[in-house]
Amino acid sequence: MDKPKILVIIPAYNEEKSIHTVIRKLKLHSDIDILVVDDGSVDMTFKKAALEGVKVVRLPFNLGIGGAMQTGYMYARDNGYDIAIQVDADGQHDPVYLNELIKPLTEKKCDMVIGSRYVAQTAYKSPISRRAGMIFFSWLVHLLTGNTIKDTTSGFRAVNRGIIEYFAENYPTDYPEVDVLVRLHKKSFKMCEIPVEMKERQGGKSSITPLKSLYYMIKVSLALFINSLRSGDMV
Amino acid sequence: MTFNVYIIAIIFSIIFLVAIIELVRKNKLLEKYSLLWILFGVVLLILSSTPLFIEKIASVLDIKYAPSVLFLFGMVYLIIYNLHITTVFSKQSQKITRLNQEIALLKEKVEKMEANKEH
Repeated sequence: MDKPKILVIIPAYNEEKSIHTVIRKLKLHSDIDILVVDDGSVDMTFKKAALEGVKVVRLPFNLGIGGAMQTGYMYARDNGYDIAIQVDADGQHDPVYLNELIKPLTEKKCDMVIGSRYVAQTAYKSPISRRAGMIFFSWLVHLLTGNTIKDTTSGFRAVNRGIIEYFAENYPTDYPEVDVLVRLHKKSFKMCEIPVEMKERQGGKSSITPLKSLYYMIKVSLALFINSLRSGDMV
Repeated sequence: MTFNVYIIAIIFSIIFLVAIIELVRKNKLLEKYSLLWILFGVVLLILSSTPLFIEKIASVLDIKYAPSVLFLFGMVYLIIYNLHITTVFSKQSQKITRLNQEIALLKEKVEKMEANKEH
């Protein structure tokens, strides 16, 4: 196989404090293109990203992580990329793992690779409530698809051309991470995990507050059940 | 004739129909969304014009107080119409999302083209 065209998609919403650090670390990899999707930020995210000389797509208003990521996948589809990788703008995802994330794709072992916190023992510590949620979703995904995915909410993911094309057309607007696992299973895409260490976020605020957690769990569970009833194509 | 729920319903449905037609005339309501409302107004007008219909319906459904058929009809209709409205704006929010994304991608493309032109 020729050298694959690789795009790193960074969805960013008000991440002016950390965006440049993330981009600079990514630039150490010479064989990738970087695209920042500014999800209608009201701070300097757009300018900071543009100053680093990477591609920036700016949404006219905030869509949420799902809508922003889909924009990235649409860009990847339209510009002929073979692999797209999601890297969060808050610095949680360490670009050191990029090559490992890509490897199973180039070897055609699977269609999507998830950088997972829980595959092996890592230094990442998460609150008990979050951990319980992770176990619950992992169990639910296993129940619905038969796949064992330990870290269902990790956004650190690499996908191949087939999934890029699918995501450009079908991607959930909010809380997409768990949701797509069931959709991809329906479409017979193969998913696998590699162990990564995640860092504490370096700036900005997490989009998930304790208050939203319960809402998140109910909503995602509902979406999963409904997804398992449909074909995987959005109406 | 006494001033009762039937008279109120008649007056209400007439005002309602006039208001709907007025909204469509002023382009504040699209024709395709006005049809269900006009249907609602007409059915309400027929039901309330004479107690005969709803008394018949009430006896079939074993409803003791006949005018409550009017309320039942109104409520069921509103619930169904609300559901219809939420499907309409779900569709619209999907379309708006897609427009937002396409605009962002187009802007990036245009900026790139303009930068190339300058060099």
